[in-house]
Amino acid sequence: MTVSFFPIWFVDVIGSILMIVLSILCLRLTLQLRRKDESNLIWAYLFWICLALTGFAVSRSGGHIVKQFLLAGGHSEAWFTIRPYSGAINTVMFMVVASITLFFERTWKIYQDILRDRQALQSTHAELIYLNQNLESLVQERTRELAASERKHRRIFEVSRDMILVATPDGVILDINPAGQAMLGYPDQGTALLGRPLGEFIAAPAQLGSIQETLSVKGFVANREMELKHKDGRRTRCLVSASLDTRSTNARETVHLLIRDIEQRRQIEEQIAQADKLASIGELSAGIAHEINNPLGVILGYTQLLIRHEDPASENYQDLKTIEKHVRNCKSIVEDLLHFARTSPPQEDKIRIDEAIDDVLDFVRQHADVDRIEIQRDYDPSVPQMRLDEKKMKQVFMNLVMNALHAVGERGRITIETEYAPDREQVDVRISDTGYGIEEKHLAKIFDPFFTTKPTGEGTGLGLSVSYGIVKNHGGDIAVESQKGAGTTFTITLPVLFRETTTDDRYEQIDSDRR
Amino acid sequence: MTGKRFFMPAAAAFGLLAAPVPALATQAHAAPEGIVAHQIAHVVFVASMAILIYWLRKRRLVKQAGWKYIQYAALFFILWNLDAFFAHLLDEQLAWIRVEKIGFWQQRITAAQGPDILAPVYYLIKMDHLLCVPAILFLYLGLHRLLKTLPPENAERLSK
Repeated sequence: MTVSFFPIWFVDVIGSILMIVLSILCLRLTLQLRRKDESNLIWAYLFWICLALTGFAVSRSGGHIVKQFLLAGGHSEAWFTIRPYSGAINTVMFMVVASITLFFERTWKIYQDILRDRQALQSTHAELIYLNQNLESLVQERTRELAASERKHRRIFEVSRDMILVATPDGVILDINPAGQAMLGYPDQGTALLGRPLGEFIAAPAQLGSIQETLSVKGFVANREMELKHKDGRRTRCLVSASLDTRSTNARETVHLLIRDIEQRRQIEEQIAQADKLASIGELSAGIAHEINNPLGVILGYTQLLIRHEDPASENYQDLKTIEKHVRNCKSIVEDLLHFARTSPPQEDKIRIDEAIDDVLDFVRQHADVDRIEIQRDYDPSVPQMRLDEKKMKQVFMNLVMNALHAVGERGRITIETEYAPDREQVDVRISDTGYGIEEKHLAKIFDPFFTTKPTGEGTGLGLSVSYGIVKNHGGDIAVESQKGAGTTFTITLPVLFRETTTDDRYEQIDSDRR
Repeated sequence: MTGKRFFMPAAAAFGLLAAPVPALATQAHAAPEGIVAHQIAHVVFVASMAILIYWLRKRRLVKQAGWKYIQYAALFFILWNLDAFFAHLLDEQLAWIRVEKIGFWQQRITAAQGPDILAPVYYLIKMDHLLCVPAILFLYLGLHRLLKTLPPENAERLSK
């Protein structure tokens, strides 16, 4: 094939010139890019690529131009001398361009890392500048916030009605709030408690051990019940919640305890349980008493009828008298049961309670040997006249005074106090003795019918039950406090204005007391 | 054991001394090595440009006009390398094409081996600047666009 050589020659020469010119222009652009952003690694990378490409273009295109002119001028020997060097340089420049190009990914990744680090540095730098410029005001603001937060938490700590206590994991008290100090019997003496082991104030140290064990396993304890020991020896039932603080600022683990006094609530619950129990027994007793009372009346009537026709000297007469006596005893018991069961409403008389008590004491002095027993009366003159069933209330006072005499024995003191509480509109009557007291295990049962600690035949166990029934029937309450060997105090609370109290009323009263 | 350890190296040394041969320590580099090295350079160039295109696409840089033009530059460089590779293959390595000067601007191109179509193909691929000039032109356009899109505030900030 015969062809014109000119197109090849033209394209080769013009193309070579363009290659040189364009590669130099590319190099110039990369220099401009670098000048605009000297720290940009990508521009540096492109600069090196273009530098290698310029070297390649100059070596190759220059070679081509020289070749065309030497061959056209008939200097082929000269070209053959230059050719190996031109070709070798050309090959080397290829390899250089290719090698630099292969570094694109690495360069790009490094550049992205640099950008990220630079951004982080810039934001930190900006933050530092901001902090530097506003440090004083920021510190003031933070201090104010901190003080407000501290005040808030301090107030919570101080005004809480529950005990808030901070201790070491092994139970040494580090801090305690005023409510806690009061619960332990050290009001306003917080420092006296600091550093002392919490175990000193726990009634059963095993309970504290159990809490510590749970804390070490779970990190918290919720609503665990335990008994606290008051300074005066009193026991207070409490609900304990605790948590282990492992992130304490002083790098020491601490235990935070929230202890709520539930003694009063528990007592009321026990009283309510007791009242429920007695109400149930009362219903049962009333049922039985009604059923027995009528046959007893019939037996008594017929016995008395038979007695009329018997000679008083006869053996039958004596037998019938014995039957009559025991039937009367039975009727008396049945009537007591009916009083306990509160089947009949009280007959309301307008009386002075201290006069009723004096009548009872006079009767006791006449019929019992009380010479060696000191009887103290401490009546509140402000106690108003009250609407009460005088006969039944005297029966109550009689039962309690007789019990006191029995408890005191031959020598001792009985104190009878009255007190008017206008805020509650109630009158409290306290009958205390210095006798042998009641065992704790018997306290919950003393108002149960037929419960007695006296030997068989000396008491029916209905005295306190009847008293309980009568007081409740008047809308009042009767409570007992006793310590073995230290005496007993019965407190009768009677409303001045007669009305029934309910369980809800008691809870409301507790809540208002807590508040 | 100790006897064997000394016997084997001693026997080998003796064998080498007893039968000497030319060492050939320096390899001679004859003429074809030049064209082979050059062709390998073309292949490496193609590979590097292909890898560049791969990364530009993977990094989604080709969405920006500047890098898109650079991608086209790499593509034209690949085409140019293939063109040059085949031109060298036909006239220098395989010597299938014979070129004779028969006048001032006249040449006869003959396919010494292979099909006759090789002669016009060779004539066309000899004009390789039709591929490499667009390649470098695209590179120029790409760099120009990158320069234009560089945010001025960026330049101001970094020049501080």
